[in-house]
Amino acid sequence: MIQLFNVTKSYGKENVALREMTVHIEKGEFTYVTGPSGAGKTTFLNMLYGACKPTRGQILINGINITRMSGRQIPYLRRKIGVVFQDYKLLNSRSVYENVAFALEAQGKKRYEVSKRVYKALKEVGLEHRLQRKPIELSGGEQQRIAIARALVVEPLILLADEPSGNLDQEVTLEIMELFKRANARGTTVLLATHDHSLYKRFPKRVLGLEDGRLIMDHQP
Amino acid sequence: MLDNISYFIRRALRNMRQWPVLCSAAILTMAVALATMATFFLVVINIQGLATSWSEEVQVVAYFQYPPAGNQLAPLIRKVEAFADVKQAIYITKTEALKRFEARLGDDAGLLEGVSRDLLPASLEISLKSGSHNREGVARVVAELKKDSRFDDLRFGQEWLERFENFVDLLKFVGLVLGSFFLLAALFIVSNTIKLTLYARRDELEIMALVGATKRFIQIPFLLEGALQGLASGVCALGFLTLAYKLLLQKSLQTFWLTPVGFDPIFLNGNQQLILVLCGILLGSLGSLVSLRKFVRL
Ligand SMILES: Nc1ncnc2c1ncn2[C@@H]1O[C@H](COP(=O)(O)OP(=O)(O)O)[C@@H](O)[C@H]1O
Ligand SMILES: [Mg+2]
Repeated sequence: MIQLFNVTKSYGKENVALREMTVHIEKGEFTYVTGPSGAGKTTFLNMLYGACKPTRGQILINGINITRMSGRQIPYLRRKIGVVFQDYKLLNSRSVYENVAFALEAQGKKRYEVSKRVYKALKEVGLEHRLQRKPIELSGGEQQRIAIARALVVEPLILLADEPSGNLDQEVTLEIMELFKRANARGTTVLLATHDHSLYKRFPKRVLGLEDGRLIMDHQP
Repeated sequence: MLDNISYFIRRALRNMRQWPVLCSAAILTMAVALATMATFFLVVINIQGLATSWSEEVQVVAYFQYPPAGNQLAPLIRKVEAFADVKQAIYITKTEALKRFEARLGDDAGLLEGVSRDLLPASLEISLKSGSHNREGVARVVAELKKDSRFDDLRFGQEWLERFENFVDLLKFVGLVLGSFFLLAALFIVSNTIKLTLYARRDELEIMALVGATKRFIQIPFLLEGALQGLASGVCALGFLTLAYKLLLQKSLQTFWLTPVGFDPIFLNGNQQLILVLCGILLGSLGSLVSLRKFVRL
């Protein structure tokens, strides 16, 4: 599903975020990406949805070489990938419903289909009773669940989560992990960047360890 | 497709409702820019209109040494009217010339009592065709008239004409320079205002790109919004202009001492009004497009 071959990403001469990374991730796998701050986790995930391009090396997603993709094709790549961030990236001036609907509208889906799927996705994350509220009025955990609903409503092949529980307490983190595991159980490939050791001790899965841009560990439970 | 269009329109409208301050700022800026340009245009066309009606009074007066005999007058008038530049030649008898002079003196007409009725010479007042209200036209007519020894003296305000023509040339030049300056300034201000509105919504642009919206999909609502704001600003500018015209220009022109009696102040005609509104739409969409190119990067 995801294949990296000797991928290097550098910002300027000195600043190398990823070095010669080669890794394969199968369809339906659940993988943690770990490492200290500045290790290159975000850079790794960003490259997978075309937010930045590798300086050297090739990335294949679903057999397609995305390093050769033009700006025109990137949106179509992104429609197959859901992304969740530490800071949620929600529109606080829009309702919960609109925030989730955004992802389907961007693909030009019909209105009735949008409303049906948005409702289903919000129900999945337990927020179907909050449709008309503004994200800012809700708790951090609820906001992250909106973001997850937005990522999952398009039924993506891949779900990328960049420190999704970085701002959340233990209890809420477990709720969110539950959502990721459920998505994974339905066949979505999940990549979760975190430096929270307790997380992968509690839910053991494959762990990729990064340090200073290098892949130093690839551990299967 | 139809579904998409209604989606874009809904998005554009709700964006405008959501950012009323930014939206009205953009509309106001464009309206001011458009109104300034249109006011200037109006002033120029009115001055040109004035200039044209002044120049209608350009004529050549040919004074006779001796009044022509009755049977020579008609052929002479026909000959003069046959000149390419001449519209009409009118014979003014000595008596008529004196009468006009009396009229002009008004209360002081008594001064002329006892003066010989032969005091003023008879003349031909020659008016020119509209294309010949200029120095060259006058010069051609004068050259032809000089060949005829029956004329004693020719009057034709050469110096005045020269100054007038220079003035009109200057006006056109200033109009062109100021006009293009205003246009550039308007585009600059508008694209910056729109940039500001886009900056306020950069989160939305970022998230749209994130969830896989194509560039076109992201841009269309903003373009539409720009066009709608442009339309609104065009209508505002037109309203403002109508008001300013009614309250200021029309009155000031009518009381301006140089304004000929028959001159009606000119307002934009239907086509020009339409062009003004279209300019607004163009300005709005162009302004959006220019600033969007900077903001929507994938
Ligand atoms: N846009 C950027 N410009 C310059 N350097 C960057 C940029 N993004 C990341 N980096 C650098 O790349 C390295 C890896 O960063 P990042 O991928 O964010 O690490 P992590 O997510 O593991 O904390 C860091 O040294 C960081 O300074
Ligand atoms: Mg990071």
